[in-house]
Amino acid sequence: MNILFAIATGIMFAFGTFQLLRSDMVKSAMGFYILFTAVNLFFFAVGAFNGQAPAYAQNVDKVTTSDPLVQALILTAIVISFGTYAILLGLISASARRYKTADLDNLDQLKG
Amino acid sequence: MFGIGIISLAPAITALLRPAVRKFISKEIYGWMLATLVSILFVWLLTFIPTINEVGHVAVSMPWVPQLGLTLSIYLDGLSLLFSLMILGIGAMIVLYSIYYFDDAKSLDRFYTLLLPFMSAMLIVVLAGNVLTLFIGWELTSVISFLLVSFNGENEAARKGALQALIITGGGGLALMVGLVLLGTAAGSMEINQIITNTSLRDNPWYIGFTTLILIGCFTKSAQFPFHFWLPGAMSAPTPASAYLHSATMVKAGIYLLFRLSPVLGDTPLWENGLLIIGLITVLIGAAFALRQYDLKGALAYATISQLGVLVVLISLPHGEGLKAAAVGILAHGLYKAALFLTVGAVDHSAGTRDMKKLGGLARQMPGWAVVAVLAGLSMAGIPPLLGFVAKEGLIESLLTTPIALAVVVVSAAFTVAFGFIFIWDVFGGKASHSQHLHATPQGLLIGPAALAGMSLLTGIGLPVLITPLIHMITHEEVHLALFSGFNTPFLFSLIAVAGGVGIFVTRTTWRQWALPSLPTGTQIYQGVVQRVESVGDLLLKTQGGKLRYYLAVILSSVIVLQATAGLAHLTGYSLTFEFHPSIDILRSILLLLCLGMMLASILFKSHLLAGLSLGVAGYSVGGIFLIEPAPDVALVQFMVETIGTVLLIVMLARIRSVERQQAMDSLWIQSKAGLIRDILIATGIGVGVGLFVLAALTNRPQPKSIATWHLEHAEELVGVPDVVGAIVTDFRGMDTIIEITVFSVAALGVLTILSKPPASARWPVGIANAITGFQKTFRKPSDEDEYAVPAPYVDYLPEKHPHGEDSFLTSFSTPLTRVVTRIILPLAFLVALAHLFYGGEGPGDGFTAGVVSGLGVALWYIVFGYNDAHKQFARLGARRLIGIGVALVIANAAFPMLLGHPFLAHLNFDIPLPANIHLSSTFVYETGIFLTVLGSITTVMEAIAYPKEVEPL
Repeated sequence: MNILFAIATGIMFAFGTFQLLRSDMVKSAMGFYILFTAVNLFFFAVGAFNGQAPAYAQNVDKVTTSDPLVQALILTAIVISFGTYAILLGLISASARRYKTADLDNLDQLKG
Repeated sequence: MFGIGIISLAPAITALLRPAVRKFISKEIYGWMLATLVSILFVWLLTFIPTINEVGHVAVSMPWVPQLGLTLSIYLDGLSLLFSLMILGIGAMIVLYSIYYFDDAKSLDRFYTLLLPFMSAMLIVVLAGNVLTLFIGWELTSVISFLLVSFNGENEAARKGALQALIITGGGGLALMVGLVLLGTAAGSMEINQIITNTSLRDNPWYIGFTTLILIGCFTKSAQFPFHFWLPGAMSAPTPASAYLHSATMVKAGIYLLFRLSPVLGDTPLWENGLLIIGLITVLIGAAFALRQYDLKGALAYATISQLGVLVVLISLPHGEGLKAAAVGILAHGLYKAALFLTVGAVDHSAGTRDMKKLGGLARQMPGWAVVAVLAGLSMAGIPPLLGFVAKEGLIESLLTTPIALAVVVVSAAFTVAFGFIFIWDVFGGKASHSQHLHATPQGLLIGPAALAGMSLLTGIGLPVLITPLIHMITHEEVHLALFSGFNTPFLFSLIAVAGGVGIFVTRTTWRQWALPSLPTGTQIYQGVVQRVESVGDLLLKTQGGKLRYYLAVILSSVIVLQATAGLAHLTGYSLTFEFHPSIDILRSILLLLCLGMMLASILFKSHLLAGLSLGVAGYSVGGIFLIEPAPDVALVQFMVETIGTVLLIVMLARIRSVERQQAMDSLWIQSKAGLIRDILIATGIGVGVGLFVLAALTNRPQPKSIATWHLEHAEELVGVPDVVGAIVTDFRGMDTIIEITVFSVAALGVLTILSKPPASARWPVGIANAITGFQKTFRKPSDEDEYAVPAPYVDYLPEKHPHGEDSFLTSFSTPLTRVVTRIILPLAFLVALAHLFYGGEGPGDGFTAGVVSGLGVALWYIVFGYNDAHKQFARLGARRLIGIGVALVIANAAFPMLLGHPFLAHLNFDIPLPANIHLSSTFVYETGIFLTVLGSITTVMEAIAYPKEVEPL
């Protein structure tokens, strides 16, 4: 099972990186989103144990439950990545309005 | 005792108050007030003399940043007293002189704004009781002297000189910092009084290291060879500033530190030889160049260099033999050099030139100044009964046992004598130059220099009363200073020096025509280095094409190289065993495959909309993976966030004009083949690296006996919530959640800020800086056009038919059916949110979910009804206020238990019977706060992104 998640996360990172390198700003933002998802999935997989039931108090004594700690961490991670994504979209929107382009290659004012 | 702290900070604080005070009084009155204030500080400092005589020093200490060994401490002994009296005394005269030197009030105000903090910085250097505090003052003097030298910034020479001075002294400052930290570490304390009593420092293995570094720092500051050239370059400063930099401050900082540390670092070959050799070279270079200068200020600058060299030589002597002479020399030099500089300023002001060739015979027109020049010049030449004579006698006496040094110093003394005579005679004596047209100088200009020159005389005559006790306080030994101590060896050498000086003076027309071999000067070497650095910089800049993706490609490639070389080598213990539990893993594999396929689709689709939707599906399948774990809380939030993220993306897409979007979409596969292969390689490299890392992490994951087990067992009992994940989020890791929710709301406000036009005038801190430096006019005033462009209420902007603007694809979503559905969904969404709030603790769902659910209802409204209607509808909600209320509620709820004596974030249970099985506890309040914040944030983001008006291009 580890291998499965490792391969999936690796591929997701490859996809995300590739998207990140597109000249289309919207695609770049999507690349970020893929990376966020990959990281969340990794957090999820790295939990201490897998379980058969949700992590509710009434299940604890009966069966192994899923690891609640990683879940709590992912909750935070999801929210933060959504915030970051919103900022990214705002930036794209702003630069599309101000520079009249959504193509990164047309923004070359960071010239040295 | 804290009076000393007040003394050192008072000038800087006064400068801060300038804008308020200057409104009501003229520049003359203000200047006199400042001079009076500085004089009062001077007198105040004198009141510490009895204590110093009794105890030896005054030390005050207060912890500041204890982790770094940083304390706010003050150390005042004889040595700091000498320096701070000079800083304040000469400073008062400079302040006075400046009133009449600057013609316009604005320049004067600006000058005071720099001069007073400079005074404070210098006082911090000499009064600091901690080497780190000393260093802070040291750096401040470097920075402020840069501003002083570049005071006339429109002049290129001033800018260059200032930059050169800053680079040299700042570079030395870096060396000094490392040196001081090492010194403090070696001594086991950063406190000066502990360092200077630690006699074992010489035997420390780091001795050579920190001493060399400290010496570099001191040599750069005190303009010693080979760093001497910055000082003449810095003479483009206004004359009062030059006078101050050369006499009592800046260059004296290095001398102070050498003097201060000589008891513990001296008496070693490195110290003695290093200081002696550098000092002697500096003496000769300074003296020789001083005589070849026709610019009065330049000549004085080289004379300063020579004099500083003499002081360094004196400090180099073993067993502190030269310290007495050095102390007298420091004072004598400060007094006459300030007076001479100020005289040059007056001459420049009056005759309009500083060129010795064009000057002469000024004594008749400027008799008062002639007297000042004669007194100061003779003190410099070392003629009795002036203090300079005493200093020279002491110098020669200290060097009697060091023949080479004695020879060099006597020769340079002859040069100095000649220079003193040249200064007096060629400017004030002789025939008046024909082309001269003199301006009258204001009477007040003479007060400061006259007082300083008078002090040179007074201290010489009143030697036993005025100077001897001060020197005794510094050296703690019997001091015998006399104007005339008989026809002994020092006097003989003194005579030789004077005779030689007269000889050089008489023959000046002859040797001034000699050509010197043209060696590269320090400035030329410096400029060469600067040019080399700049050309390397140009070369580097060529790699910066301005295209972001290439930068990113370079960064990512470096990451791959790092991964391959440093990172993966350390990955151990990953196993490739393949456990497969068909019951769950088949489902997982399908979902993972779906997710990966959808991500691939988002890459391949040209259309943004399709790509965004496939990304949404990918996110949903991740939610599915969470669900089968089973982790229902996470799955729920994942579904929610995925939805709102996709909605946001679509709304954002609608805001980009279709022309530009089409252009961007069309560019997808236009890339060159090489570029495509490069991107694929980078992506593969990153993917492989991360995959291996994940594999190693998963193989070595924490054992079941983690804190999670404890959480599982205690959640219900401690938090009263059966949902353990919810308990962790709201209680066990509640602080995380507070931060998370704050970050989230800041992100929302950030989106709003990004999409708004900034107000033109930032009031703070630029406004304050303007007020201080008097640069108000450079910044434009805000105009009516600069108001916030978003989100102004905008009702009649769009025609009914196009609620999203002319060419938005979102218009097609607005059909009668969707409108009805939206109207129904909004209240339903709020109902579902309430249910989550009240019963979230018992199953999946919490305040965050509630916020997103209701936020989705709001977002749908924006899509279907368009910006205008939605804005009208939700203006009453007060989205930004909701964020504030929510965050405040969360924090208040966390802090409330402290009132009852519980710790921050403690769980409270309110036993109030409520219908419908509602359980009221602090968790509920907490969730409500989160709900409000999230709802406010999402509404804010929607409002900002959905705003249809075009913002003007920048």
